[in-house]
Amino acid sequence: MFSDVEMMVFMEELEEKIQLINDNVLLLERDGESPLVIQEIFRAAHTIKGSSAVMGYEKMSRLTHEIENLFDRLRQGTMKVTTPMVNVLFEALDTLKVLKEEITGNAGEVDETPVIGKIKSCLEDSGSAPADTDYPGSTAKAPEIAAGQETVDIFQPDEILENMIREAEVRGYQAYKIYVEVDPDTQMKNVRAFLVFESLQQMGDIIKSYPSAEEIQDGRFDKGFSLVLFSREDQGEVTNLIMSIAEINKVEVTPLETNGEATAGKTSGEHVEQTAQETRVLNEMPKEAAEVRKAAPQMERTTIKTVRVDVQKLDSLMNLVGELVIDRTRIDRFAEIFEGKYGTDDLAENILEISNHLGQVTTDLQDEIMKARMLPVATVFNRLPRMVRDIAQKLGREIDFIVEGQETELDRNVIEIIGDPLIHLIRNAIDHGIEPPEERVRLGKSRVGRVRLKASYLESHIVITLEDDGQGMDPAKLKELAVEKGVMTAEAVARMSDRDALELIMAPGFSTAKVVSDVSGRGVGMDIVRSQIEQINGTVELDTVTGYGTTFFIKLPLTLAIIRALMVSLGEQVFAFPLTNVQETLAIKREEIKMIRHNEVIVVRGRVLPLVRISDIFKIEEADEDRLYVVMLGSADRRIGVVVHRLIGEQEIVIKSLGNYLGQITGLSGATILGDGRVALIVDARGLVKELGTEELAYAAN
Amino acid sequence: MSENKREEEQVVVFQLRNQTYGIDIDSVLEIIRMESIVQVPGTPDFVEGIINLRGRIIPVMDLSRRFGLEAADITVSSRIIIVETSDITVGMIVDSVSEVLRFPLSCIEPPPPMVGAGNVEFIRGVALYDQRMFILLDLARILVDDEKNVLSLMDTEAMKILV
Repeated sequence: MFSDVEMMVFMEELEEKIQLINDNVLLLERDGESPLVIQEIFRAAHTIKGSSAVMGYEKMSRLTHEIENLFDRLRQGTMKVTTPMVNVLFEALDTLKVLKEEITGNAGEVDETPVIGKIKSCLEDSGSAPADTDYPGSTAKAPEIAAGQETVDIFQPDEILENMIREAEVRGYQAYKIYVEVDPDTQMKNVRAFLVFESLQQMGDIIKSYPSAEEIQDGRFDKGFSLVLFSREDQGEVTNLIMSIAEINKVEVTPLETNGEATAGKTSGEHVEQTAQETRVLNEMPKEAAEVRKAAPQMERTTIKTVRVDVQKLDSLMNLVGELVIDRTRIDRFAEIFEGKYGTDDLAENILEISNHLGQVTTDLQDEIMKARMLPVATVFNRLPRMVRDIAQKLGREIDFIVEGQETELDRNVIEIIGDPLIHLIRNAIDHGIEPPEERVRLGKSRVGRVRLKASYLESHIVITLEDDGQGMDPAKLKELAVEKGVMTAEAVARMSDRDALELIMAPGFSTAKVVSDVSGRGVGMDIVRSQIEQINGTVELDTVTGYGTTFFIKLPLTLAIIRALMVSLGEQVFAFPLTNVQETLAIKREEIKMIRHNEVIVVRGRVLPLVRISDIFKIEEADEDRLYVVMLGSADRRIGVVVHRLIGEQEIVIKSLGNYLGQITGLSGATILGDGRVALIVDARGLVKELGTEELAYAAN
Repeated sequence: MSENKREEEQVVVFQLRNQTYGIDIDSVLEIIRMESIVQVPGTPDFVEGIINLRGRIIPVMDLSRRFGLEAADITVSSRIIIVETSDITVGMIVDSVSEVLRFPLSCIEPPPPMVGAGNVEFIRGVALYDQRMFILLDLARILVDDEKNVLSLMDTEAMKILV
């Protein structure tokens, strides 16, 4: 059996490769055939095939073998990419995912044969029977490489490498391709190779190698290996250096130019992917064949230096830093006392200095850990293109789906939550927004509808914009529908502004689709979208131009663990109001509070604002003072004012749960520890507004 | 040692309303002095509030109120015993903590049926040792009862997101 760690690595790799194939198949469908993309898919399929065979998952191995066959044909150009084929491919990918679930025990027995059959029929449709490529586990056939003809992918500079070479040239470096052959009789192939790497790294940077650096240094290469080196030294120097290492038979150093002249001159489409097993097979091949090698670009693997860390570890780190912050504040206070007592004594100054420095370090530490918890929003966005494609196909729409700002980073908790609302909004955009192609043409729009998803930073928030160029929404129609569906009365609707009418789509029970489809239109969506986003302290707004499209703006906090809050005090107690829900604060006098029936209200700029007392909500005593403050809270279109004694100010607070014992308490969303070690309660402003807030509209009408 | 464990019991002994109680030492995290407690509205009346225990928010209950007695008088000898079960950490206010005691299991008797002071349900047994009597508390029952169940039934998912 394989260890948990091995399993985990396998699963992670699997996930990664499936996503990679997925992305590339989409590219293939959109941009047509490209040798690079096909190569990429072929490699990924090959990797899965290899590792699943090693792990003993035969179904997966069989399926990926077929995928690989298909791409092998595509690579050789004996087949063309067609829509039915892409559909089969996606089906195969889905089956792969289910097979993965089967391994983890999350899914039952899976039958992969139907999909395999479909792939095979795809292959047959295109003519001659597929040439069976090598299959791991079986005694590998020697890859069909004609001696001397094999090209060196490594020296066929792709765009990235070309750019790098150009950049290096600007900085005064020369790119060399180097082929090193080690004495076949050496006992220490890996050591020699290691020495070559070490020596070369002293005189420049090794950009690429084939086989990969790991394989080479493990001695897993045949007679020799190839490298791309950037160095300031001239050709002779490099050659001499390598020759100075014992048991090196042959060194070839050639300058590498960006135009790729130094290559043997074959396109990447004809390369054959090689695994370590195959490399061993090459031992029996003619010497010339092994002379030059094709390489899989190993760049990503050598440049990214990351460690996977359990989120819980980050959480506990965060807690520890929190404690540090509290202690620091205490030291601050002691330092002040010291200063007061001993004045400008050296000791007092030292303590002050230490506490200042400690303060800086803890703040930095906190920032860094916060950053470590962040994930690029790409983890969610990557799943979407495939979904867009499926929906578009199902609904007969043509969609150009543009994704921007995938690198924008968000707290992982936020990322976990935004997926569903986003999927829903995109579905809506395609289903309700974008018109069918014929209609678009008739309207004088381009046949292909555009949906643009963009993430960007805005102050301490992230904004996700979803824009479509579909039919937009008509406020008048929305109002009509609202009355029809009994969401609102005709009178209430009549008083509504167009902007407010748009908000109607987020009212429960509201759906604008005339036909309920399985894609969208059940009328439960938008209000859930809103509540999910508000649950993580985000907001949703929308903008629409009838006939020209709709844009949604989703504003999200960067993190959930730390929020900005308005700190207020009421008697001895300190309360925190999440700033996202605070609209403004007002200083009022006792006598400004009016009564409407039994409710306290104040008039703010001609509008009536209902007031609530913390003492009433939380049933605590409260002495009334002459000068009071009102914190105006808002969520969606509801407003309330909360009466407090004193405003302390804005502050970043770390949200802590009240623990399992107390569980969820109405009106509170947690607690936080203040700089001086005191505990403050965080008011669940959103819940409060929802429960007690009155719709502004209703009041405005009075 | 393992022999001892089976035949002996080690408890933290504390006083509450002139009674001597014992609580299994394994569940005691630490014992701290009284500190300022922030009231939390909307909690059962025996919950005094929450404290900051070195960066952790810990709810604190008044044990005598939990037993249906009058609220504890806070004095210099008052202590908060922080106890921990599998998933719950809670502080309990007691009048004073006197010692840690080890006595054989044979000293423990089931609670006498006539103890009807309302807190009989929290009693695991009574220990007679060294001519003294200790009421041994059943922590699980103190922490998990009907009222607690009501609390835990509430959706804790929302809280998890915040943590």
